Amino acid sequence: MTSDPEAAGEAPATPAPATPHIEIENLAAGYEGQRVLDVDRLSIRRGEFLSILGPSGCGKTTLLNSLAGFVTPTGGRITLDGVDLTDVPTHRRGLGLVFQNYALFPHMTVADNVAYGLRVRRVERAERDERVTESLRLVGLEQYAGRRPKQLSGGQQQRVAVARALATRPAVLLLDEPLSNLDAKLRREMRVELRELQQRLGITMVFVTHDQEEAMSLSDRIAVMNGGRVEQLGSPTEVYRTPATRFVAEFIGAANILEGAGAADGTLVVGGVRLDSGLASLRDGAPVTLAVRPERVVLAPGGAPDPAAFPAGSAARGSGIVGYRAFTGEAWQAQIVVAEGVALNARTAQEPPAVGASVSFGWGPDDVIRLGDDAGDDAGDDAGDNAGDDAGDDAGDDAGDDRSSLRKPAA
Amino acid sequence: MSAPATAPVDGPTDKTGDKTGGETGGETGDKTAGKTARKRYGVRGLLPVTPVVVFLLALFVVPLVRVFALSLHPVDANGYPLDGYSFVQYRRVFTESFFSEALWHSLGTALLVTVLCVLLGFPAAYALSRARQGVVRTLLFVAVVSPLLTSVVVRSYGWVVLFSANGAVNRVLVGLGLLDQPARLLTSYFVVVVSVVHVMLPFAILPLTTALGGIDDNLRRASRSLGAGPVRTFWKVTVPLSLPGIAVGATVVFPLAMGIYITPLLVGGANQPLAGLRVYSQITSVFDYPVAAALSLTLLVLTLLGVSALGTGFRFWERRLHG
Repeated sequence: MTSDPEAAGEAPATPAPATPHIEIENLAAGYEGQRVLDVDRLSIRRGEFLSILGPSGCGKTTLLNSLAGFVTPTGGRITLDGVDLTDVPTHRRGLGLVFQNYALFPHMTVADNVAYGLRVRRVERAERDERVTESLRLVGLEQYAGRRPKQLSGGQQQRVAVARALATRPAVLLLDEPLSNLDAKLRREMRVELRELQQRLGITMVFVTHDQEEAMSLSDRIAVMNGGRVEQLGSPTEVYRTPATRFVAEFIGAANILEGAGAADGTLVVGGVRLDSGLASLRDGAPVTLAVRPERVVLAPGGAPDPAAFPAGSAARGSGIVGYRAFTGEAWQAQIVVAEGVALNARTAQEPPAVGASVSFGWGPDDVIRLGDDAGDDAGDDAGDNAGDDAGDDAGDDAGDDRSSLRKPAA
Repeated sequence: MSAPATAPVDGPTDKTGDKTGGETGGETGDKTAGKTARKRYGVRGLLPVTPVVVFLLALFVVPLVRVFALSLHPVDANGYPLDGYSFVQYRRVFTESFFSEALWHSLGTALLVTVLCVLLGFPAAYALSRARQGVVRTLLFVAVVSPLLTSVVVRSYGWVVLFSANGAVNRVLVGLGLLDQPARLLTSYFVVVVSVVHVMLPFAILPLTTALGGIDDNLRRASRSLGAGPVRTFWKVTVPLSLPGIAVGATVVFPLAMGIYITPLLVGGANQPLAGLRVYSQITSVFDYPVAAALSLTLLVLTLLGVSALGTGFRFWERRLHG
């Protein structure tokens, strides 16, 4: 263990962003011949909050379990501060772990749970008690030391689990969907707490989640996974604004995907309908995949758009019919049917026209994300929901795919 | 835990349910939940248990009362029951070493068998609980319950063949030069214990398997992530959490081992000093029914005392673990 004994105290350790901390190279893992993990390279920086985000079955838990030592990789290696961890058993890795179902020892008190790792390390009694109290204070539960886990609420149990993992002062804390069993309100509170704790202790946290909002709000960087691969690694704003692949665009922020043939004047033919893409020009006749965020889509009533109806910077791009609309509280959600099998989702503050009415839609030139002309291997799937289900197949037959895991967007 | 869920288990006649509920679950409020359930369902709630109650009354309670009545009769010189009541048969059970020593011997053997069953059953249950669904698991399971699927005669003669003077065990021991001549294994205490443990093992393994299978794998992972190696994890997490299974196994094996007599009779002969065999010989060769009745009832009381002592012990241990 390399962590500073004072790390759990008041002084926040300044993260040194450039230091390589955990390096994952060519890591492959699989069960019974099926490859579920295939990560070319992923390096985790000291003191950062890294989320591993992806749908279920994307390999994110397998990646975490490989880091923890529960899964033996079939290839590649993991190093922590230059030390090869591949053959080191879990109990000698010195990493902290927090589980989705808390995994507190039911036959021990809260204090004994937190003291478990210290007892293993033969920390003498006085120091042990001190560190137990200190860890429980970090999560605001020092008055519950004598309780049993089952006497605590879910949120409290997860706080104890965090305290237990932190008591041994690990260099890295791995969290496997730790908030997924909590209700929405508690989840938001715990998010803030977790982030504060991470910043205060300067500890490296690797956080596995399928919840994009959670990943966006917590992380320094996000590794978006699909089909066992890291599709994109970047800050929350990067993965949101410049998604590297169609999958990332759809999974994070549920972007509208427009797939069609481009023209030199910037128009795009989708499902037989000609749309103005908003881009100055597109390669003539080449297949093009564009993404537009629903909240960037502006709607105006009527099929013949009035330019004045669109705010400055955006312009009408086409028209369609309102297929569905719903009020979600903070905004309206509408689906605009552009052509047979082509629909756009929009989130607007103004009430959209009624279902069945003609509507024109538009966006600004900066709102269009070009996903590259070759990113259309999922053609035919219109919904983002499908992406996760396809993940397994993709991992298998895309071995020679040029969609390299860290590729920058074509734009 | 909702009240209706406990109602069938906590029914007034279900003795074992009540007992194991207290020992294994350690759930507080089990009793009160049962009470409210009874109140809510009233007389109609008792309807489903009526056949069991009738069955138990006719075939268990009535004969037991008659055995008790029989045990209070003095006998004449030929062992015929006489009129009148006395505790003379019980005095014989406690003063004649032929009976009293058999009781202690039975108690000691039953405790030994219980301990051996838990110790030997634990690894088997562990393997069974970790085995994936499939052929291996099925084979393991069949192997574990095979003593129950075999007739007592076949099973016991299997042991006889194995342990006889020219049986496999003796031949191996002599062949290895460990013995000069075949040992008399068959009537030995060793063989009695081995064969009784063999029959009783499934009763220990099955509840242990359930208990071990119910332990969340993440608890072991958490232990390892906190720096505990496999051995420490086993003793600090797996064993304490399997305690309910150990308790059920022990409280089933112990009373069964207290009363066992056919298996020891077949492999060890009629002279094994076990209380069950003494009862058997009093009935089949001495024809002294009253003393046989007194001995069986004493054995029954001793068994019940042993079971409640075990139960108390486990409950105490459980409470220390789970608060």
